[in-house]
Amino acid sequence: MARWWRSFVVAALTVLVACGCRVEHASDNHARQQIFYQASLGDPRTFNPILSTDSSSNEAVSDVFDSIVRMNELTMLPEPGLAESWDIAPDQKSITFHLRRGIKWSDGAPFSSHDVAFTMQVIYDKRVPNSMRSILTIDGKPMEVETPDDYTVVMRLPRPFAPLLYSIGTSIIPAHILEPVYKAEHFNQAWNINTPPRDLVGLAQFVMTRYVQSQLLQYADNPNFWMRDESGGPLPRLRGQTTLIVSDLNAEYLKFLAGQLDVYNPRPEEVVSLKERAKELNVTVAGNGVDTGELFFSFNRNPTHYVVNGHRDPKLDWFTDSNFLRAIAHAIDKQGMINLCFHGLAVPAYGMVSPANKLFYDPNLTDYEYDLKKSAGMLEAAGYHMAPGGVRVDPHGNPIVFNLMTNTGVPVRDQMCAMFKQDLATLGIKVNYRPLEFTTMVEKLDSNFDWDCVLIGFGGGGVEPNNGANVLRSSGDLHIWYPDQKTPATPWEAEIDKLLEQGTAEMDVQKRVPYYWRIQEIIHDQLPVMETVRQLRFTAYRNTLKNFQPTVWGVYHREYIEFTPG
Amino acid sequence: MARFLIRRILNMIPLLIGITFLSFLVMSMVPGNFLSNLKMNPAISPQLIKEMEAQFGLNQPLLVRYGKWLWAVLHLNLGTSLAFNVSVTSLIGSRAVNTIILSAASMLFAWVIAIPIGIVVAVNQNSIWDRILSFVAFFGMSVPNFFLAFLVMYFAMKLNSPYLPVGGTYSVDYAQLDWMSKIGDRINHLILPVFVLGIAGMASLMRLMRSQILEIKNSDFVRTARAKGLTERTVIYKHVLRNALNPFVTMAGYGLADLLGGAALVEAVMNLQGLGLLLLNAVRSLDIYLVMGSVLMGTVLLLLGNLLADIALVAVDPRVDFSSMGSQ
Repeated sequence: MARWWRSFVVAALTVLVACGCRVEHASDNHARQQIFYQASLGDPRTFNPILSTDSSSNEAVSDVFDSIVRMNELTMLPEPGLAESWDIAPDQKSITFHLRRGIKWSDGAPFSSHDVAFTMQVIYDKRVPNSMRSILTIDGKPMEVETPDDYTVVMRLPRPFAPLLYSIGTSIIPAHILEPVYKAEHFNQAWNINTPPRDLVGLAQFVMTRYVQSQLLQYADNPNFWMRDESGGPLPRLRGQTTLIVSDLNAEYLKFLAGQLDVYNPRPEEVVSLKERAKELNVTVAGNGVDTGELFFSFNRNPTHYVVNGHRDPKLDWFTDSNFLRAIAHAIDKQGMINLCFHGLAVPAYGMVSPANKLFYDPNLTDYEYDLKKSAGMLEAAGYHMAPGGVRVDPHGNPIVFNLMTNTGVPVRDQMCAMFKQDLATLGIKVNYRPLEFTTMVEKLDSNFDWDCVLIGFGGGGVEPNNGANVLRSSGDLHIWYPDQKTPATPWEAEIDKLLEQGTAEMDVQKRVPYYWRIQEIIHDQLPVMETVRQLRFTAYRNTLKNFQPTVWGVYHREYIEFTPG
Repeated sequence: MARFLIRRILNMIPLLIGITFLSFLVMSMVPGNFLSNLKMNPAISPQLIKEMEAQFGLNQPLLVRYGKWLWAVLHLNLGTSLAFNVSVTSLIGSRAVNTIILSAASMLFAWVIAIPIGIVVAVNQNSIWDRILSFVAFFGMSVPNFFLAFLVMYFAMKLNSPYLPVGGTYSVDYAQLDWMSKIGDRINHLILPVFVLGIAGMASLMRLMRSQILEIKNSDFVRTARAKGLTERTVIYKHVLRNALNPFVTMAGYGLADLLGGAALVEAVMNLQGLGLLLLNAVRSLDIYLVMGSVLMGTVLLLLGNLLADIALVAVDPRVDFSSMGSQ
């Protein structure tokens, strides 16, 4: 027995020594090879840009597929992509796109208007579940797409519809590859994650060369890429790109510090220390500005939750009473949240549209400043009195108690809810706070409406404010506080519905702005959602990178990025 | 022996069906379904959700869905993942191999170190070694392994040694390496995770070994053996150790099932290609067929592990035989 153990230990030691096998890696200096290293949080779920519904999949192919119109990350205006120009007809009901000539797919096949028409056909096909269709459908009707010749695409709209120029930035897919697949009814399985990456044929700066699940995605420059720089030189300037899939942000941070990544978006708690060490690490920490999304409290105003068997829950009266809501808004300690949860790296949010959206942000909104005395005074004035025992009661004597939920797994939201609960407690309002699993929370918001108050965030829907129509419109299914209304429940919701119509019917951006300012004002006054704070976004990148311009909307003109020699 | 085996394997069938049905039921009773994750995305219309629901068959009754799943499993088809739209087998396959390599290596590491140490500290009870090693064991048990993973990764980053890469399962240039270097590369990437996972496993094993030996050391038959004049060595290895091994055989059986899911957090932190995070995300996003695939695998491994442990127990312990186990 003893000898057996000894040989076992020896065997184990041999294994350990064998670990010392030195592996000769190719040069670690990816900068010299002009290969850009970045990280992504998750695995892509599909490589098919039409079927993609999640950000990891979108990211994975964003440099592989191109679109006819792009958004300029600095001006936020549409700019030419595969289409070099477009004309809008005088009646604003048709747009003619003039495609660039001589563009080739990454496999060498010529690109033509047929590819655009095919892409639109697939998007409008009811058998292909995709998120583009609803954005490209106007009043329930699809656009008519015509291709008079190989380089012209005419889109006819049922009515003038301004958001089109933003939503038309959908990835164009190659008809010569995917049309046979589509006709054989296999499109929904086409280009899934088991597809060899070399089979993906695109028009953008890179082609995907390798995908190893939960490890990495590799890209090489597309030799047929159509873009040229100012002096006519070929783009992209990088020879390739590697996206490491790192599911943990701490691990990603370590990899950036170790020089394995060229870019990292630090969290608030990391920004200060990164800035201090910027010189030593030879990196730049750039502030990109304010986050494009929103993070807000909302109260349930849906009667189906409150009126049961003819009995009406008093909560419905509180949550539709704008005096009550305004008093609550004054009890949200935004500065406290900024200091405690975001290390000071956030700004109070006043309106639904982020200041990052310079085109549509309404600068005239004012804050509901944090003032518990004022809040208490407003509650008293509106008939919500403090009863003996430190409990606040409504005009009918019902004590004010409600439930608050948010999704688990985001520590910041947890802290914000705790602060909100505590501040309301000093006003005599009892909040029962419970974090829920995301899917459970969604079920409450979306299906059984069994909730009182929620803290929830929406990612930025892009520059186009109409992308948030599903939230704003009273009949929208994401109209959080009372979704799917048959007719608008309040006059102000009716007004928003009308403004949304008017805002899309006008093609000129400047003329559209007043409609969206008015919507922001209404939401700000009526408080169906109470904005909290918006995080400041930062990007840290190596100083050896040239032409690297991060913005909150993405990196500006990525095709120009390169490493400086030396 | 044959009768015992047949009976045990037949017993597994209702167990498997019961366990998978319960899991299926629980996954279906959770509020929401996989598509709930998409509902809060302003870009996704309710029509799209309905279409996808129909495409995935999520609108059918529970029993129909379970029946279809079971029927497919009988044809060795584990179904299609809702999130990835590819077969569950293709998702689980390569990752399961990596996870098993990692878990098996760390188990080996833990056992190889823990058992001798457990013997040493038990034999020299209350000596200074006992105290030091027990302290180390408690430390290993109480430090969460994801935290230990961060520590060693930070250490590796500072060290910047080619033998100790900061996380990952392969190097970026793995595809270009020759096969010897490929093996070396994989081993280098295994050292830190095996250490992290092994330390935690080692601690509890060592404590168990120690208490087992201490208990048996003072029993009557050991005293008899000593009275016969056997050397201390023979007493410990032939009599004490042999009797102390029984619980370890059973534990090894359970360990087989643990191979698949025991490393999730460390895999996430150290960026390893494995089942852990995939399944964790699958459970959280209610990707039901992916979860069921892993439940099935885990159950089969658990049942098999138990069977193997029972067979091994007969081999190790002459007091146990198949007829006595069959009657249980």
